[in-house]
Amino acid sequence: MDELVDQIRRGDRRSLARAMTLVDGVGPDVTELKDRLRQSTGDVPWWGFTGPPGVGKSTLIDALVTLLRRSAHRTGIIAIDPTSPVSGGALLGDRVRMMRHAVDRDVFIRSLATRGREGGLSDAAVHCARLLELASYDPVLIETVGVGQNEVDVASVADVCVVVLGPGYGDDIQLIKAGLLEVADVVVVNKCDLPEAGRLLKEVHSAFAGIVGVAEASRLPDPHTPDSAGSDAEGDESVSASVRRVEVLGVEAKSGRGVEELLDTLMEADRVAREPARRQSLHDRRVLGEIRRSAMKRFEESLDRVLSNPTYRAHVDRLLHGECSLDMMAGRFAADAATELYRESPDAGDVPGEDSA
Amino acid sequence: MDGSRTKRILIGKVGLDGHDRGAKFIVRALRNAGYEVIYSGIRRTPEQIVRTAVDEDVDVIGLSLLSGAHNELLARVAELLREEDAGNIVLFAGGTIPDRDIPHLESLGFKWVFTPGAPLSKILSALDEELKEGV
Repeated sequence: MDELVDQIRRGDRRSLARAMTLVDGVGPDVTELKDRLRQSTGDVPWWGFTGPPGVGKSTLIDALVTLLRRSAHRTGIIAIDPTSPVSGGALLGDRVRMMRHAVDRDVFIRSLATRGREGGLSDAAVHCARLLELASYDPVLIETVGVGQNEVDVASVADVCVVVLGPGYGDDIQLIKAGLLEVADVVVVNKCDLPEAGRLLKEVHSAFAGIVGVAEASRLPDPHTPDSAGSDAEGDESVSASVRRVEVLGVEAKSGRGVEELLDTLMEADRVAREPARRQSLHDRRVLGEIRRSAMKRFEESLDRVLSNPTYRAHVDRLLHGECSLDMMAGRFAADAATELYRESPDAGDVPGEDSA
Repeated sequence: MDGSRTKRILIGKVGLDGHDRGAKFIVRALRNAGYEVIYSGIRRTPEQIVRTAVDEDVDVIGLSLLSGAHNELLARVAELLREEDAGNIVLFAGGTIPDRDIPHLESLGFKWVFTPGAPLSKILSALDEELKEGV
């Protein structure tokens, strides 16, 4: 494995591509590789791009990569598309929009399928992003599947979170409902050449204006489009540094209009995400999210085993006959699931090195 | 390494040829058969196809051509794959390719050449058979 890691560090593309296939699968070697990757990375901010299907996420990334290459940034991209719940197959089509970068040796694009995971990411996405980081790609861009309202997994792994919207998304009620906007550092309204885009931009803007403590700035790339309100928020000194600042920008990814301004915004967010204290807290959050996810998965599996045990039939009857409450019964099952886990691996309580901390 | 992992297939269109109905039909059929399919889009160069195949670490490349330039373009793809030390990737082609050219393409490493009218079941079972063998 050391050899594989060394080859990736030295920039061997085939090794990088093959390692991505490995982390997209399962096995004991793979777990070791993933642990190794986690230890060796964490310095480079990841930019996440999410939003509904068809708003132009891939096209926007394509336009950003063109600009990033102009300033010689080696750029890595993870693009995720949905796995069919019926066949298990997938059409990975994001790459079609990015083909002009296919032969650029300083761009690496990898397509992943969700493989049944909900929330907008694939399980392999973090590991592939780390592999890109190991191979000195900086920044690393992650494009989620087309998401609806609440698939916000990307927020737990990306350090700069971009939500892309386009005209036709719905009215302002939809915007307020959607949890999607709550995770955004930057909201991009794409397809600003279309007439309804100006209205959407205003609505996004007022959606944020309604949230106390969130400062925003709104810009349209087109000087002919009437300016929307809110540019006075720019110099608001009363907003403390800890308050998340949400930028709202209009772009037209296909022609590149407004994309330079977006890149400036992202570079600034990237700079902030590199500040040591911020870097550490973002990275901690990402790793904690991984631990939580993995622990939850074990617990759920254990709980399913407990619930499938036929002797629990009697407990269901007790619940249905009013002999105990759902809370009591659920507590009992949860405790049993935890006990089962402990019985399976009694050493699990002793994490090596815990005492020395 | 893991014979049961989901296989990945690149379906590509090389050269100056915008007729992509056949390619898209195959893309959809392969997806529905449980493969992860990467589609290149139309009018790609052999270099783009090979780079994509290597970066995406695909098991198979299927190329669709209806332009008549198959001999040159497919030879170039096969050559580039060898240069990239990626000769292990299974190659096949489809499209309006005259029977007389098929032996030549096979000698370049194209495992199958499917011409108009080839039944989908034949394409799927050829892939199934090939990929089931394991890596």
